[in-house]
This record gives sequence, C-alpha cells and structure tokens, in this order.
Amino acid sequence: MSETLVAWLKSTAISHAMVELPWLWPLCETLHFVGLALLIGAAGLFDLRLMGLLKAIPLKAAMQMRGWAAVGIAINLITGVLFFVGAPAQYIDNPAWWGKVLFLMVAVINIAIFETKQGKRILEMTADAETPASFKIAGAVSLASWAAVLYFGRMLPFIGNAF
Amino acid sequence: MMDMLTALEATAFSTWLRESPSLWAYPLILTLHTVGLAVLVGPSWALDLRLLGFAPGIPLRVLEKAFPVMWAGFFINGISGLLLFAADATTKGATLLFVTKLGLVALAVVNIAAIRRVVYRTGAEPSPGVLARGLAITSILLWIAAIGTGRWMAYV
Repeated sequence: MSETLVAWLKSTAISHAMVELPWLWPLCETLHFVGLALLIGAAGLFDLRLMGLLKAIPLKAAMQMRGWAAVGIAINLITGVLFFVGAPAQYIDNPAWWGKVLFLMVAVINIAIFETKQGKRILEMTADAETPASFKIAGAVSLASWAAVLYFGRMLPFIGNAF
Repeated sequence: MMDMLTALEATAFSTWLRESPSLWAYPLILTLHTVGLAVLVGPSWALDLRLLGFAPGIPLRVLEKAFPVMWAGFFINGISGLLLFAADATTKGATLLFVTKLGLVALAVVNIAAIRRVVYRTGAEPSPGVLARGLAITSILLWIAAIGTGRWMAYV
C-alpha cells in the first residue's frame, strides 16, 4: 500500500522537479522557514493574548494577526506537501514525520474548535477583558503543538533519515 | 585562518557535537537554532507588519515589549550558531554563503535597533512615518535573505 503510493508519487512531474532541479528544494526549505517564523510571530502574539498576557492589546486587534498566521500555515502546507511528493520514501516510514503530522493535527483541530465554538465570544468581550479558561487552554495548546511540530520537523534527519 | 578553523573543528567538544549519535548533541543545538529564529524573526515581522498598517488596533506602545523577546532569540542563536560553526568550521566558515548570511543577520539586527530608535523616540503612542515603514520593509526582506542563505548552506 505505502509502496504503491511512494512509487506513484515519485513518478509525478512535481516529484521529478523537486529532486532534479538543484535550486527548488532549498527554495522550498527557505519558504518553509519563512512560513515558520511568520506563523510563530503572528499566532504567538494571538496565543499569548488568549492566555491572558499582553492585556494592553485589545482582543479584537490581536485577532487581526490570525490572517498572517494563516498565510504562514498555507506556505508551510504547500511546501511541506512538495517535500513529501519529492521524496516520499524518506518520510512515510519516518517516526519524526508521523510525530510532526500528529501535532499538526492537534494544532489544526485546536484552531477548528476555537474558531467554531469560542471565537465569536470575543466580539462580546471588552477590549481588555480577562480571557476565560477555555481561551487560555486554546492559546497554550496552540503554542505547545506548534513547538512540537517544529521539534519533530527538525528531527526528521535524526530520528529518521530525511535530508 | 584555515589552521584556526581546523583546530577549532578538531577540539574534543566539536568532535563530540558533530559525531555523537545522541539527540542531545547536534540535533538539540540545531533545534535551538530554529527556535531562536522563530523567537527573533517572528516578533520582528509582527512589528514590521503592524508598522506597515496591518492589525492597526494593536497599540504600537505594547509591541515595544517585543524587543527583549527578539534579543533573547538573537542570544539563543548567537550561542547555538557559534556551536554549529565550531562543529563544522572548515566546511562552513570558509564559504562565501556563510559570510553573506552573517552579514545579512548583522544588517537585520541593526535594522531592528534602528526601528526602535525611529519608532519609540517619545513616550507617547508612536505614529509610524515613511522612514519607519521603509525600515519595516527592509527588515522583512533582510530576514528572508538571511533565512535563505542559512537554508542554502545545507545544500551546497
């Protein structure tokens, strides 16, 4: 099953381009780290406000940073998929990659729960409101899961054998 | 110069850092270098974007708190970068790419200091002018270039 998937992905034009164009892989790596910094900068600010820090930032204003966090996530999903399509064999059996995917899921589910269940409550809160416990948990889970995604990403060549 | 790099690379510590299979050796230092990048560049870009007019509801006065965070990130990466350099001094230290990266990082850090001077001159809520916005743009571009040269070092 995974062999079939790996063989098919490696037969695609995108996969060939990723491996054969010497500048494409490092370019995607650069974008992946740019996305990382953008995500941590933008989401980190919002997460800290959710956790009850930086109360001088109005809640709604802190929310405006989420768009840039989304840009960071989009850049990293696209480049991440390109890495996987480029060299699927070095990820699919790599425990670090599965760790990364697991915590990416935690981060995404956390966002989905916050946006659908809690986000709207911000509109009814005052600018300098103390955030409820559920917000503090959402912010902490976000920061911790992105840190775990970063850690397992960095471990790809060491726990597994990815380059 | 090359003799010094060879000697640095041959020390017991450098050899351990480079050759130990432990996740507490090279992988930990490399992870710290990535964490430092996020802690330095992330807040720097958040401030740059605010200066350029995004998220206008965030008071610039509050973002002054980002400077100690950025300096902490810079400190983490100064130390971890020095260790990574010690491990591979002859292959990394002698490349134009590495020297270019150091130059770009130095410019980006000076750019942050300049933003602080320009934006936070007075105690009142700052209003960014053309100079502040120009510095925000160069800050974003310098970090992209610094990240790019750093990443490219792994592939040449």
